[in-house]
Amino acid sequence: MMVSQATRSLLAVVYLLWAGFAVAGSDEDPAEWLERMSTAMSQMSYQGTFVYVQGDDVVTMRITHVAGETGVRERMVSVSGVPREVIRDSSGVRWVLGDDRSVLQDQGFNRTFFPQLPLDQQGQAQRSYAMKLGGVGRVAGQSVRNLTILPRDQYRYGYSLWLEEHSAMLLKWELIDHRQKPLAKLMFTDIRMGAEVDRNELQSSSELKKFKTVESSLPAGRGMASSQPRWRPSRLPPGFELTAHRFFGQQQDSMFEHLVYSDGLTAVSVYVETAAAGEQQPSNLSRMGTTHAFSTTGDGVAITVIGDVPSITVKLIGETVSSVTK
Amino acid sequence: MSTESREHLSCLMDGEISRETGRFLVRRLGADEELSATWARYHLVRDCLRHQEGGFASVGLSSRVRQIIEEDASGRPDGARAVAWLKPAVGLAVAASVALLAIVAVGPGGQRLPAPGDSPAVEAVAESFTSPQALTPPPVSQQASLAGKSARDNRMNAYLLRHYQATGSTGGKGFVTFVPIVVRASTVETRDGERTDGASPEDNPDESTNR
Repeated sequence: MMVSQATRSLLAVVYLLWAGFAVAGSDEDPAEWLERMSTAMSQMSYQGTFVYVQGDDVVTMRITHVAGETGVRERMVSVSGVPREVIRDSSGVRWVLGDDRSVLQDQGFNRTFFPQLPLDQQGQAQRSYAMKLGGVGRVAGQSVRNLTILPRDQYRYGYSLWLEEHSAMLLKWELIDHRQKPLAKLMFTDIRMGAEVDRNELQSSSELKKFKTVESSLPAGRGMASSQPRWRPSRLPPGFELTAHRFFGQQQDSMFEHLVYSDGLTAVSVYVETAAAGEQQPSNLSRMGTTHAFSTTGDGVAITVIGDVPSITVKLIGETVSSVTK
Repeated sequence: MSTESREHLSCLMDGEISRETGRFLVRRLGADEELSATWARYHLVRDCLRHQEGGFASVGLSSRVRQIIEEDASGRPDGARAVAWLKPAVGLAVAASVALLAIVAVGPGGQRLPAPGDSPAVEAVAESFTSPQALTPPPVSQQASLAGKSARDNRMNAYLLRHYQATGSTGGKGFVTFVPIVVRASTVETRDGERTDGASPEDNPDESTNR
């Protein structure tokens, strides 16, 4: 059948309009932007300087992230203040503490220990957060788009993200509470991407070789992932679900259990391990930056809950952890 | 000195004493030489166990400080009156300085000092450690030692590192997850009512779900 020139032109226009709407649609989908950000943060190579502000702490840091055939190699180092750095590669993670001239490493941990936690599995996060795309702006000389993720309750933090328009790379990050009060801020002042990245910056300074290296004391290896944890919290904030679990040892003897609960965007670790003989400490809340921890002992076990969540969340979870056999 | 006094001293070192009892004890430390010597000795014992001999609060510190102040005051023409007036304040200052040294040394993750009858082995944590890769020996985490940190700090740091590794991909935050441990080297204790995270005490925790 012969199709006239006019009909072909009309079909082309309709197709282009449809494609245009489809592209525009995805451009306006906050979940899509979040997915693209996650991909950019892990799979792109980038290097830059950023400033992190939290309370009275203002720290300038340098990040070099290289994604290659051998996996991801990353080095983040503080430029101001006490020299500290974190080095991540396929062999694990090393935490360099310049103030102690020591390096804490957890090389026994790898992805066989825990699966990669999925980003917002089946829209789980939508139940706990309201996501909204905002306006455009400029950060570190790049055009950015704002994405706001507001928590629906006080059990989690929210985020205001500024993402590079084309790659969705995160250039500015602001942590906010459920009342939208800013808690911490991170902003790149310069960034290079792709071939411009200087890989020499992945190397630590020669000074590091003189530091004392200490291996993490936590058990590593595959452990046992049972469907039923031996210990678990009887109450959880809305939206949090068990997403990963590992158990080491014997229930009656010495044991170590690690449970991870997530609401789709943030996660809380629950550690339960046999308490040392005579160990009895009162319940304790502590924090590192905006990460909170709750620890307590009882029934012969030490319980520690850690999460990038408000203190109310780790306390609520930690206070209700008990043996499932009770 | 009574066992009760020793227990109170131990609690003061751990920061596990009521405010009123703590104030009373600090006042007594200024006036009671035996008590203040015991206090200094406790710190020395703990320092030795941590291989930090001579770092602070050595035995006799309070009496030496008192002696220097008194010698200095007695050299003045009207020293006697001044010393008489200053004595309570000096006592309090000595106690406060010893207490301050203790607080700085103990830090937020301080450990309990062994009671006089305890075995020192309980406190000896600065041993080298090899990571258990298999299920034997029993996998209760042993205390890895980092210079100058308490066992509790070290354990918390190991938990933090493992947490960041296990959950780093959540939310696609990437390196942002690890930023807090570059900013700080260990956790700081917070009190229940002291909110730093926007969650106010009146926030109702009863909205949680049962699992």
